[in-house]
Amino acid sequence: MKTFYKHILALLSIAIIFSCENENVKDFRDINSIEVLPELTSGSVDFSNYVALGASFTAGYTDGALFMAAQENSFPNILSKEFAKLGSGAFTQPLMNDNIGGLAVGGNRIAQPRLVFGGAGPVPLESLIGPVTVTTDIALNNPTGPFNNLGVPGAKSYHLLANGYGNLANLSAGLANPYFVRMTGATPDASMLELAMAQNPTFFTLSEIGGNDVLGYATSGGDGSSSITATATFDFAFSTLVTTLTSGGAKGAVTNVPYITDLPHFTTVPYAPLSPANPSFGPLIPTLNGVFGQLNLVYAYLQSVSAISNAAERSIVFSTTAASAVVIKDETLTDISAQIAGVLNASPTFPAFVQSFGLPVQAAPLVANLLGTIYGQTRQATADDLLVLPSRSIIGTVNTAMYAYLVGQGLPANLAGQFSVEGVTNPLADKWVLLPSEQAEIKNATDAYNATIANIAASNGLALVDLNTILTQATTTGLQSGNFTFTTDLVTGGLVGLDGIHLTARGYAVMANEFLKAIDATYSSNFEASGNVAKAGDYPTNYSPTLQ
Amino acid sequence: MKTIFPILLLFFSSISYSQTTITGTVTDENSQPIPGANIIVIGTSTGTVTDFDGSFTLKVNLNPPFTLQASSVGFETVKQQVTTSNSQTFNFILKEGTSLDEVVISASRTPERVFESPVTVERIGLKEIKSTASADFYDGLESLKGVDINTNSLTFKSVNTRGFATFANTRFMQRVDGMDNAAPTLNFPLGNLLGMVETDVQSIELLPGAASALYGANAFNGILFMQSKNPFDYPGISAYYKQGITSQEAAGDNDYIDYGFRAAHKFSNKFAAKVNFSYLRGTDWVANDTRGKNRDNTFIEPNSTRENDIDYDGVNVYGDLASTNLRVVKANPDFLAQLPNPALANLVPDVNVSRTGYDEADLTDYNAKSIKADWGLFFRPWENDFEIQYVGKIGSGSTIYQGSNRYSIKNFFLQQHKLEIKNDNFFVRGYLTADNAGDSYDMVFTGVNVNRQWKSDNQWFGEYAGAFIQGTLAGLNADQAHASARAAADTGRLEPGTPEFQAAFNKVISDPDILTGSQLKSESKIYHADGNYNFSHLTDFAEIQAGGSFRQYVLNSGGSIYTDRLGEIKYSEVGYYTQFQKKFLEDDRLKVTASIRYDKSELFDAFFSPRISLGYNIGEDENHNVRASFQTGFRNPDTQALYIGLNVGPIILLGGAPDNPERDIRTATGNDLSPTGQAILGTSSYTYNGSGAFNNSFSRSSVAAFAASQNPADLQIANPGLIKPEQVSSFEVGYRGKVNSFTIDFSTYYNQYKDFIATVDVINPFYGDVQLTQTFPGNGLPLAVIALANEDFQAYRAYTNSTADVSSYGAAMGVNTKIFGNYDLGVNYTYAKLDFDRKANPNTQTNFNTPEHKVKASFGNTDLFENFGFNVAWRWSDNYVWEASFATGEVPAYQVFDAQINLRVPSLKSTFKAGASNLLGDEYFTAVGTGRIGSMYYLSWTINNL
Repeated sequence: MKTFYKHILALLSIAIIFSCENENVKDFRDINSIEVLPELTSGSVDFSNYVALGASFTAGYTDGALFMAAQENSFPNILSKEFAKLGSGAFTQPLMNDNIGGLAVGGNRIAQPRLVFGGAGPVPLESLIGPVTVTTDIALNNPTGPFNNLGVPGAKSYHLLANGYGNLANLSAGLANPYFVRMTGATPDASMLELAMAQNPTFFTLSEIGGNDVLGYATSGGDGSSSITATATFDFAFSTLVTTLTSGGAKGAVTNVPYITDLPHFTTVPYAPLSPANPSFGPLIPTLNGVFGQLNLVYAYLQSVSAISNAAERSIVFSTTAASAVVIKDETLTDISAQIAGVLNASPTFPAFVQSFGLPVQAAPLVANLLGTIYGQTRQATADDLLVLPSRSIIGTVNTAMYAYLVGQGLPANLAGQFSVEGVTNPLADKWVLLPSEQAEIKNATDAYNATIANIAASNGLALVDLNTILTQATTTGLQSGNFTFTTDLVTGGLVGLDGIHLTARGYAVMANEFLKAIDATYSSNFEASGNVAKAGDYPTNYSPTLQ
Repeated sequence: MKTIFPILLLFFSSISYSQTTITGTVTDENSQPIPGANIIVIGTSTGTVTDFDGSFTLKVNLNPPFTLQASSVGFETVKQQVTTSNSQTFNFILKEGTSLDEVVISASRTPERVFESPVTVERIGLKEIKSTASADFYDGLESLKGVDINTNSLTFKSVNTRGFATFANTRFMQRVDGMDNAAPTLNFPLGNLLGMVETDVQSIELLPGAASALYGANAFNGILFMQSKNPFDYPGISAYYKQGITSQEAAGDNDYIDYGFRAAHKFSNKFAAKVNFSYLRGTDWVANDTRGKNRDNTFIEPNSTRENDIDYDGVNVYGDLASTNLRVVKANPDFLAQLPNPALANLVPDVNVSRTGYDEADLTDYNAKSIKADWGLFFRPWENDFEIQYVGKIGSGSTIYQGSNRYSIKNFFLQQHKLEIKNDNFFVRGYLTADNAGDSYDMVFTGVNVNRQWKSDNQWFGEYAGAFIQGTLAGLNADQAHASARAAADTGRLEPGTPEFQAAFNKVISDPDILTGSQLKSESKIYHADGNYNFSHLTDFAEIQAGGSFRQYVLNSGGSIYTDRLGEIKYSEVGYYTQFQKKFLEDDRLKVTASIRYDKSELFDAFFSPRISLGYNIGEDENHNVRASFQTGFRNPDTQALYIGLNVGPIILLGGAPDNPERDIRTATGNDLSPTGQAILGTSSYTYNGSGAFNNSFSRSSVAAFAASQNPADLQIANPGLIKPEQVSSFEVGYRGKVNSFTIDFSTYYNQYKDFIATVDVINPFYGDVQLTQTFPGNGLPLAVIALANEDFQAYRAYTNSTADVSSYGAAMGVNTKIFGNYDLGVNYTYAKLDFDRKANPNTQTNFNTPEHKVKASFGNTDLFENFGFNVAWRWSDNYVWEASFATGEVPAYQVFDAQINLRVPSLKSTFKAGASNLLGDEYFTAVGTGRIGSMYYLSWTINNL
């Protein structure tokens, strides 16, 4: 009997011993298991105290506004979630008061709520959901710092060094930034850099410095209301920032400046948007061509007598079969207002032409002068001109200032209206158009900034995120991330939000991943290799209008 | 002497005639009657069988003295001398023997004791069938050492030995009264669905391991023999009735009945006949595994669910097979035309999305039904061992079969007809097996095509992508947008239980076109003839046998399984064998058996498969026997491996017969062919055949690697060879012995396979050579790479021979004894191990599908009290990997308890039994994708079953 039990015990124990090392099952598990990624390591960086310094991208600005949800999806906040896996501390942001966006000072709105998708393109939030109250009031409800995210929308390079840039008292004089006013708290005159340094960061991101130094010029069509920061000024500001930030041994990542003219703000509105199929434009084409025919004769004449070289190139013709280019003011052209008036006044047929509009023949000199004044520096746009995004909503509308002026000059209301149509009879003003020369200025400044940034980043051993190349790639071939293809098309590209300049949340996630890649490359961390990156699909491209 | 003696007897009987009537009883040592015991007059064919009370009457046309012999399986044989011709009574008391004393026929095609059979052999007789704790005798095979039973469904079990088990178990053969039991369409036996009625079973023998030398191709892993009761020996009426419930968490408690009868009559010493019938009705195990699986390699992905995986392919969820990359949708001009701005398509990611499927339970009623009948006419013209018999069998019913997909086998019909002539020295038989798939359908494609009945894939994926864009613009992240896209595309889908769903379902299951329906059509046939002659009565020198067989397959599935759309496929095999057996040394202790078989298939070169085995009895009482054998086996590729051409969705199963690839003709059109591909091929509708799988293909795993890396250097040319027979060399050593009260049976084997038949997954690009020499003019990109990038290719699971080294080894040991007096205790252990480098051969599926360790034990007493017995059986299986084209994953270790108690009522000639299988109720499964096996509780009444 005993021996028998021994047999059974032996059999069972063999079975149990073998079952621990079942090779077939083990092989199967090995093959079947998802490739085991290496553990996350921080390389040579101490991520314990991360401060983000920058402008609107750093702040999380999107769809023309700053609001809570967008701030949660700011790229520094996305980065902080990855850094948290290495034990970084809490990442505090100066959250807005709502998801409406916009700012108020003592109840007076000074910045508009966010844009939303209106079915075809961006529209103001209130156009869909009716009037809202902007509840973020920089006089009433500023949050308490210190803030790890010191991204101030609109800040130019030198603003980061400026004392008083966050003092409410300086706002009326235009010397303060309302977004920064929200952050300064008990130290109203502290600069952005000082607030950063006060936190003794171990790691920093210094992002999109230089962007606003060209952006203001670009969005204003180079009309002079906002100038490009001089390279020397930028160089000083940038080197001061890096020197100061690294003074305590902190590591960091900086970005260079993309060619902002690739952004949809400048590429969405076509130069030739005037379709003959448009019922409010097409029927007018013969009349318009009749009027501009007179003007084109003048240009041709002026060129033929060699008074004005290439004047004939200013001819304005609207096609009845294809979309036509808008009429723009090109301030780089020689002003030939006087010559135009002179030629018209000298023309024996001009008075009859004037009469054909129902004007008295005595009005001929006035009309000649008006035509000279209006079309002294005009031409039709070409593919080389860039129209800014807001021009979309004014092209084809009546310019009320021009209308009032013409009426004041004595034109009847209907004629004044007909000669005040933006981009058709009223040349688009400088602020709507980036001329090739203006684009060149922007590119030259950007290249100069980027040279400085590359040098300083290299000499300080910082990670450099090449936003310039990345945006170019998105513009040309598209950028692949998380099975999505990102382009710089408005709405459909997925990368850039409804204002045509700032990124979508999904775009900020892609940007955060580019930071992680650069940090990995410079500091031997392994965010990407260990799979600790943001998933683009986890972030939306749009925010619902109902999000409050 | 042996040959002279019968001749002398014959001579005597011709000159002298008288009749002696003998009556008597046969009982065991406890005075319990032994029904069904054989009583024969030694040296003659005169004999009878005891009835239910163990009584017999025998009339002998002989003058005494002669000798009577009483034998019964499981008992030691007893002889008594008859000295007077007066009517007299003989009472035989048989001493219970051991299992090693049982007589088997299959191991050498001639009767011999288990103890000295040259190879491992298992036997189940009437006693084991009566005492099995399983719900029926076929399930009871599970208690044998070395035997694995894989459960397709309640009524369809797959028996296997020595590894490499699939439900399409073409490596294992099953014979009923000499007839191969395989369904012609499938080429493997459907469990006991065309098997035997329980009351007609005389004995079951099982030979693990290759037996090709005697039984030809397919007797490769093992062979199961079922022998029915001859009506001459077993006349009378017997019946059983069984009723109970099956209990499963997913299906609940369901009624289950099973009844059958046997009626046999011996009209005279020349003519006898019998009829058997059985009927079973129950509810199948519900399969509700909702885990996802990987589309490429069918591996289970336990974390994939419909909720979290947009490309979910649930194991028992059907319809989600339809999957597409949204990239394809984005390129569809019809889709773009529906968008307010075509550029919005850019917001859609390039990800695979599957349609929403239906649970298996919505696509089948889970009715399990088995109707079996057989009949036989037996004629002994000279009242001796010469017999002519005709046997007919039919099987019908409903069950579930899990092959490449899960199939609801409805109202299938199988029939066999056999004509056999035999005597003790020879037999010649011919039979026909024919099947008809009836109303069977593929449940996976039912799900797919019910969906398509409602909404085309194009429309569904278009709506999905459109809704994804809307969701994104409304501010949803990708996961949320996918969820809302699915909800939008699924709006109004057919709900199970509605008339609309039922109408679509009915339409799909009666349509054999895989693109729109799911019906399985097949009416295939096998014609088989074989014969054997045993020369042992002609010579004393040795026992010599010779035989041969011929088989013709006729495949006819109308293109729904095989590449026979244009007509039947016919092919044939022929084989011859001979065996020599001789005993040597003192007391004939050494037994040498040698055999060789020649086989020739019309499709392949001829094969010789030899076997040699030695058995040696040790000890004064010859209580120990050691045996060693070497044998080779081979198997011709089965009908599926040869001629299948079945599109299962993501992949086409393609047989490797020389003429098969050209027969598989398909057309790629619409979404299956990219605009780039249409430009390169110059057509929007590209017709191709399967030859590309064998002469212009990449391995599927390398294409997956390429997809990840985008590096063409990762591509590997597959170009598998056309299929040829697989061979095995098998070494086996065994020991049997009686030690005190223990009987021990041990064997170990090593199998080495050559040209292992396996499937390999390959990708055939529609254009460009896989050597990458053909390039696109202009950019120099290889055309084949362009084809892969544009998904212009066909995936095949091609049947071929693996060049990889495949071998397996294992061992089995069984110990039986009596303890506490007359309690039977048996324990056995089976070890099975695959020796194959899975990591180095990721494209080869070996389908070993067998646990490394299995332990079984049984404990019982046939006479605990008077007429009262019980039996408890326990088995434990180690965990293992189930690898199959339907699903591949781990089968966890499990243990099962079965138990029965029985009461014999001699006055009613009845046995009542109450039993339960899987008594603990821990549900388990033996293969991934099947229903979990629950418990069965039953009561049965068997009457007059000897």
